[in-house]
Amino acid sequence: MTENAIALVSFVLTLMVFSYLLGDLPLVGVLYRIAVYIFVGMTAAFTLIVSYEGLILPYLQDIQNTETSWTTLGNSADVVIFFTALTFGLLLLLKPIRSLTWLTNSVYAVVIVVGASVAVVGALSGTLFPLLHATVTIPEDLSSDFGALLDSLIIFVGTMTALFYFHYQTRANSGAGPGQSRLGRGFRHIGKVFIVTALAAVYASTILTSLTILSERVSFLFQFGAT
Amino acid sequence: MGPAGMAAFVAFVVGVTTILSLLLGDNPALFGAGPGSDELARRLALPGDVLLRLVAIVIAVSIVIGIANLLFVHVGRLARGKIYSAVMLASFAFTMYWSITNKGDASLLEAVQVPIESALAALLFVSLALGGSRVMQKRADIWGLLFVALVLIVLLGSLPLAELAPVKAWSDWLMAIPVSAGARAILLGIALGSVVAGVRALLGQDRAYRG
Repeated sequence: MTENAIALVSFVLTLMVFSYLLGDLPLVGVLYRIAVYIFVGMTAAFTLIVSYEGLILPYLQDIQNTETSWTTLGNSADVVIFFTALTFGLLLLLKPIRSLTWLTNSVYAVVIVVGASVAVVGALSGTLFPLLHATVTIPEDLSSDFGALLDSLIIFVGTMTALFYFHYQTRANSGAGPGQSRLGRGFRHIGKVFIVTALAAVYASTILTSLTILSERVSFLFQFGAT
Repeated sequence: MGPAGMAAFVAFVVGVTTILSLLLGDNPALFGAGPGSDELARRLALPGDVLLRLVAIVIAVSIVIGIANLLFVHVGRLARGKIYSAVMLASFAFTMYWSITNKGDASLLEAVQVPIESALAALLFVSLALGGSRVMQKRADIWGLLFVALVLIVLLGSLPLAELAPVKAWSDWLMAIPVSAGARAILLGIALGSVVAGVRALLGQDRAYRG
């Protein structure tokens, strides 16, 4: 595809998507939906291609090469793993047959539980331990810098009170009942301030990102219109 | 053992094997400095490696099945006269044809996918700006006020104007200290939630795989 053709198609599709801003008018509303359906079809096709070329095909090529092996078990084990996985995948097609539901559920169980195990190990070693360590560790050179010490203290208090805010033990007591102490309410309020601050920053950052993309698109439309 | 029990048993065995293999495998330091520690660590990593590869291939096959299902659904919709499904199917067929006949050519991606994605992301600005303006209408309390004020400080702090240098200093401090604390708490909450959800799935308490 030539540069001009790419620019022309981009121009038309950008206008079609931006037609959403005009509302659900007859004819105009159709343009946005057509663009979205084109997007869905294309995304499905690219996903299929990437799944095949990025996952299935490399594994298929690997098992055909007897000199390579995924594990220490050798190439013949790779063949067994590959075809077991393909069988598992095809077993998912048996879902509509009620008497074989246990078989498809067992395949789902393997997939979900392996995913859950990776999530547990990842959360422990990638997030929980490093973040807790970073939160409770006081830098060595703080003795001379009161501002840095205060910042570290704010981060520590903010993290702990915000975590306390996530704690829903008092829900059964319907709000500010006798089970919720003044100290607990105070911690929750401080934690809420930090949560609101973090969410506001994320919101503002998302606005800035989308504004940058919008200005790039509008600039492209004007540039194309000028040529 | 009933069908549900069978799936739960498979889940437990596979889950515990994977977790132990991921935690203990490929880490010879855990087993001292003995001559067999390397080999033991490698052996312990093996079940996790095999299961991860197995699941990666199953997921790839599931994606293919999912896309086939999407196509069948749209063929059915087309048969009922839904014309947009024809657009989707034509787009899918054309992309497949283009990708097979023009291997390695990314111009279709540049001409169609990137502009539509960018334009949709640009539309997000309108939704976010409208949403932000409605916060004070729907929630006129201290938290709504705090949220809008902080959003404005961060937005104003991003402007390259010398007159707004104090606001930029405030914004930088906010991002470095309170936002960092809040984000850490949110990430820790997500991590704790992931661990709890994962352990519940392993123990068969949360049988998402019952279907």
